[in-house]
Amino acid sequence: MKAFENLSPATFDEAVELLGTARANGEIAYPAGGGSDLLGMVKDELVPAPDKIVDLKRIPRLDRIHFSEASTEIDGLVTVDAIASDEGVRSRYPVLAEAAAAVGTAQIRNTGTLTGNICQRPWCWYFRQGFSCLKRGGDRCYSVTGENQQHAIFGGGPSFIVHPSDTANALVALEAQFYLQGPNGHRTVPAAEFFVLPSDSLERENVLDADELLIGISLPSANADRPGAYRKVMDREAWTHAVVSVALTLDMDGALCRDARIVLGGVAPIPWRVPAAEDVLRGRQITAELAQQAADAALEGAQPLAKNGYKVTMARALVRRSVLELSGAA
Amino acid sequence: MTGITRRSFLGRSGAGIAATATLPALTTGPQQEAAAQQPGPAPRTRIALTVNGETHSLEVEDRWTLVEVLRDHLELTGTRVGCDRGECGACTVLLDGKNIFACSYLAVWADGKTVETVEGLARNGVLDPLQEAFIEHDAPQCGFCTSGQLMSAKALLNEGTEVTEASVREALAGNICRCSNFLNYQAAVARSEPGHPATADPLRVVGRPTPRLDALERVTGQARYSPDIRLPGMLYARILRSPHPHALIRAIDAQAALALDGVAAVLTHENCEIDWASGDLANRRMLFNNPVRYYGDAVAAVAATDRHTAEAAAQLIEVDYDTLPFVLDAEEALEPDAVPIQPGGNLAPPFGALRGGGAAVPGPAVYERGDIETGLAESDVVIEDHYVSKHHNNAQMEPRTAVAQWESGKLTVWTPTQGITNCRDDIAAAFGLPNEQVRVICEYMGGGFGNKNQCQDTDLIAAELARRTERPVKLELTRKEDFLSIHGRWPTSQYYRVGAKRDGTLHAIELRGYSGMGPHIKSSGDIAGIDFYQCPNVSKTVHTVHTNMTTSANYRAPSYPQGVFGIASVLDRICHEIDMDPLDFHLKNATRRYRDATPYTSYGLIDCIEQGAEAFDWRNRRRPVEADAGPIRRGTGMAIGAFTARLGLSNAVLRLDDAGTLWLHAGVTDIGTGAKTTLAMIAAEAMQMDLDQVEVVWGDTDRSPYSVGESGSRTTSHTGYAIVEAAEDLKRQLAERGPPGPGEELVVEASPNPSLDGEQRYSFAAHFVELEVDTELGGVQLTKYVAAHDSGRIVNPLTATSQVKGGVIQGIGMALHEELLYDRNTGIPVNPGYYGARVMTHLDTVPIDVVFVESEDAYGPMGAKSIGESTIIPVVGAIANAIFNATGKRIKELPISRDRVIGAMS
Repeated sequence: MKAFENLSPATFDEAVELLGTARANGEIAYPAGGGSDLLGMVKDELVPAPDKIVDLKRIPRLDRIHFSEASTEIDGLVTVDAIASDEGVRSRYPVLAEAAAAVGTAQIRNTGTLTGNICQRPWCWYFRQGFSCLKRGGDRCYSVTGENQQHAIFGGGPSFIVHPSDTANALVALEAQFYLQGPNGHRTVPAAEFFVLPSDSLERENVLDADELLIGISLPSANADRPGAYRKVMDREAWTHAVVSVALTLDMDGALCRDARIVLGGVAPIPWRVPAAEDVLRGRQITAELAQQAADAALEGAQPLAKNGYKVTMARALVRRSVLELSGAA
Repeated sequence: MTGITRRSFLGRSGAGIAATATLPALTTGPQQEAAAQQPGPAPRTRIALTVNGETHSLEVEDRWTLVEVLRDHLELTGTRVGCDRGECGACTVLLDGKNIFACSYLAVWADGKTVETVEGLARNGVLDPLQEAFIEHDAPQCGFCTSGQLMSAKALLNEGTEVTEASVREALAGNICRCSNFLNYQAAVARSEPGHPATADPLRVVGRPTPRLDALERVTGQARYSPDIRLPGMLYARILRSPHPHALIRAIDAQAALALDGVAAVLTHENCEIDWASGDLANRRMLFNNPVRYYGDAVAAVAATDRHTAEAAAQLIEVDYDTLPFVLDAEEALEPDAVPIQPGGNLAPPFGALRGGGAAVPGPAVYERGDIETGLAESDVVIEDHYVSKHHNNAQMEPRTAVAQWESGKLTVWTPTQGITNCRDDIAAAFGLPNEQVRVICEYMGGGFGNKNQCQDTDLIAAELARRTERPVKLELTRKEDFLSIHGRWPTSQYYRVGAKRDGTLHAIELRGYSGMGPHIKSSGDIAGIDFYQCPNVSKTVHTVHTNMTTSANYRAPSYPQGVFGIASVLDRICHEIDMDPLDFHLKNATRRYRDATPYTSYGLIDCIEQGAEAFDWRNRRRPVEADAGPIRRGTGMAIGAFTARLGLSNAVLRLDDAGTLWLHAGVTDIGTGAKTTLAMIAAEAMQMDLDQVEVVWGDTDRSPYSVGESGSRTTSHTGYAIVEAAEDLKRQLAERGPPGPGEELVVEASPNPSLDGEQRYSFAAHFVELEVDTELGGVQLTKYVAAHDSGRIVNPLTATSQVKGGVIQGIGMALHEELLYDRNTGIPVNPGYYGARVMTHLDTVPIDVVFVESEDAYGPMGAKSIGESTIIPVVGAIANAIFNATGKRIKELPISRDRVIGAMS
């Protein structure tokens, strides 16, 4: 790694200011939550070499989960492990706890933050191998005519990355609110609006502006205490990103489905919510046939590339099985 | 080497100060941006770090990772670097009680925190119970991942989570063991019984399960590997590699690199013409070649005062390339209009001719007996088929590292090698030195599985940089460089025509095969497996072909598992066609004589098949093809294997001192197989002594005699044979002269070169697997695995069992998901590394039942044959056949990954 300076702000205000100052001076600066993804990219020179790394881990008292009647507030430095193991999250938001438990390995979950997990960069093998692709300012997405087994079947173009975060899918399913802080102050963005397609932006995978940080997450209590599940299919059994995953919550009244949230991971450049599938379930008694109809609806309109058509089959089965399993109709 | 006792281990401090591989990966973008000129001083911060209870105040560069500080600055080299990217777990330490990847965490971030490393586990001379359990369960093989496994296990216990099989697997999931001793690690942490089959007829020492002599060093972090070596005044080297799969270098400008403060030397093809003879047996290969012939080919090497400067300097070297067409596929490379990769064209001479030193004319290797066309015509059923296997990386945990030092004209190289003697000889030849002027040291090494056989270019580059700069030089490869520039198993394309009689008698086998060797020929390129069967009419034609993929060469049973995938699949098709149980087919057709002509010295193949089938309960488990209707379909499959247990030249020195200690000098390095322990057991047995009276001197060409090298599953047979012979001599002398008096020693040496006349010596195996295929999600879940092996007498059932399980698990990875995948448009691999290549993890493992069939062999030490390589041979074939039995679909291209399973089902 080229030399850089590590800065340890005491507040998010200071962190935003440090990032802004560096940029104003023509320097490259990155924030680091857990920092493991960032360090890997810096070592591999996938991003311009930093002059400054702004370490957020020293900001005090921002590693708590606060439960209240209206919402659950997750501080910006809560680790993925804390989410996965917190009894309150496990009981009230099982889809999120399961998604967090599915992230990487213990070592990654112990250092990685939930906010960092959401903001991680793509794990497309062309991007990670340093190809000069669209995501790195190059002129093409190498996957289009190349090895696109892992790439998007929804929402692709001109880049066909898939969003790598497990927890992002759960947070979209829970209709979380994301707290952002930047040079112009604070704003709150619904999870579903946080992520952006390559057709909107190639430089980034979300709405974060320059020097803006994701500093916390709010889970509405309206979506708490619902059965939820996160199911992740991988091409080995640990320590990799989803080939296809599904984040699912059901609001059940006996066998009747009052409401459902279904978000697919590994299929699109953003967490891919499938309202058409939710519509199939809503207000109906869940049966094997209905689950199949929902699965079919979820994959309606998929546009596979040459080598990733299998994801359609896989995702369809995963949706059907997850709905049946979680509803108890299996 | 000193004796190893539990009492003494804490007194044996690790003398090595070490270094990590924190250089960035191969710069892969087509353009490299010029870095700034002289960089300013790197920002530094003073931190307080409490490590293993001791608080250190340190000034660190902000960019230093925690593992870099632990290893380089606190001399705690027990924490290892396998990938430097958070992909392998070798660097795992505890930070405030939780396990983290120390390679992916800056040291400044740990300011004020508590760090625990492997060195802190034992207290007051008492091992942690986890360390005790690791020894008892033979958990460490090569040992390179062991510290990380221990720390993740420790984190689990710290948490207070209930220790169950599942929680252990999950807790260790971030720690890869490429020896694939996962099951022993899991058992050690879960405190289940150490599993190994009983042997039939144990002798006094041989045949009894024995923990490794050096297990203590491996579980305490004291074992010193090549990356742990640091010498005063040492420079760090870095290689610049080709970003193109095939290109002519028009010009190289190293001025800016040389001008950088701290840079001592730059090597390129323009100023360095050293041959790397073992790097290619068919073509002249130098350390730096023009044209470059694969993505990652070495273009230049830099030596500088520290690794960060070396890295920066390498990026300042400007290279003007003229790109050339490239070809990745072996068959395409043989088409008339394919770009020639070597002066002699893309078809290499047969390996036998290269090895034999005869006229090496390009052409396939051909083997024939009987008459293939007649045989096919006489067959009742003929199957024509095509199978494809892929480049599969050895992925050993320890990256290639070489440290070279010249003193008074003598060169010493610390390097991970599977053969210190041949490595020494290669280095001496390259520098025109007599062998005595070169010393190669490899005390511990972190696995190889065949890709550390020969002298590597890293050894020569480090030595040449050290020669020019007159300072010691350390060259460390990154994980990505290791994947790209060492080698993996060669990809193959196999065309079969196989015929059988209606009663299941195999009658004709034709194989036409193509092996993509990359630009250089380092190994046979053979496609093997058809010799496991009796057959009157055989024709085999294998082309070894130059391509612009990375070099392919030896990986555990180099030519077998891919060949068995092909032939076992075709034969399974024949069984299906004639409605014959594969078990009966194998009992009928398995080889009885080598190539139907030469008797085996001992033969346990049928016993392996029968006892394996019995342990597996084949007759009950076996069901018709596609017996399940739902999405989850269960099936069974089997395949067999054989691997040579050659005899040949080796050497042993035995030295009996006046205290009654038997010193065994053997030129081996213990690559994880347990060779040191096995050889000591043979020596103890031969001398009728206790094992703790034997001390082994190994891993240093100046202190130990010639040994064949830890490849070809030869060490036990070759060097064990020499030990037995030396022991006979020693016993004779003892009988004549009595024991040595005070200050005296009895020293004997044996250099036998036994050969077999009219016989072949082989080990055998039969594997049985049951699995479930998820036809919708494409997953394959193994539910039962039995590996039956005839390796003659099992010297150490504990470590031999580890070998079997490790080979099987590596084979499962090859069968189901591991592959070095190339982008066909650019000729660049997209997934080098543990993450990308989907290397097996704890959660990918399944229980494996091992059966030892100990045939009686009249040769070799106490009748021991070979084991390391036979373990992987049948795996892929057995799994592929079980997938067919489950689904009725035959997948003919590896790996049988989810996309291929789903593709086959639709």
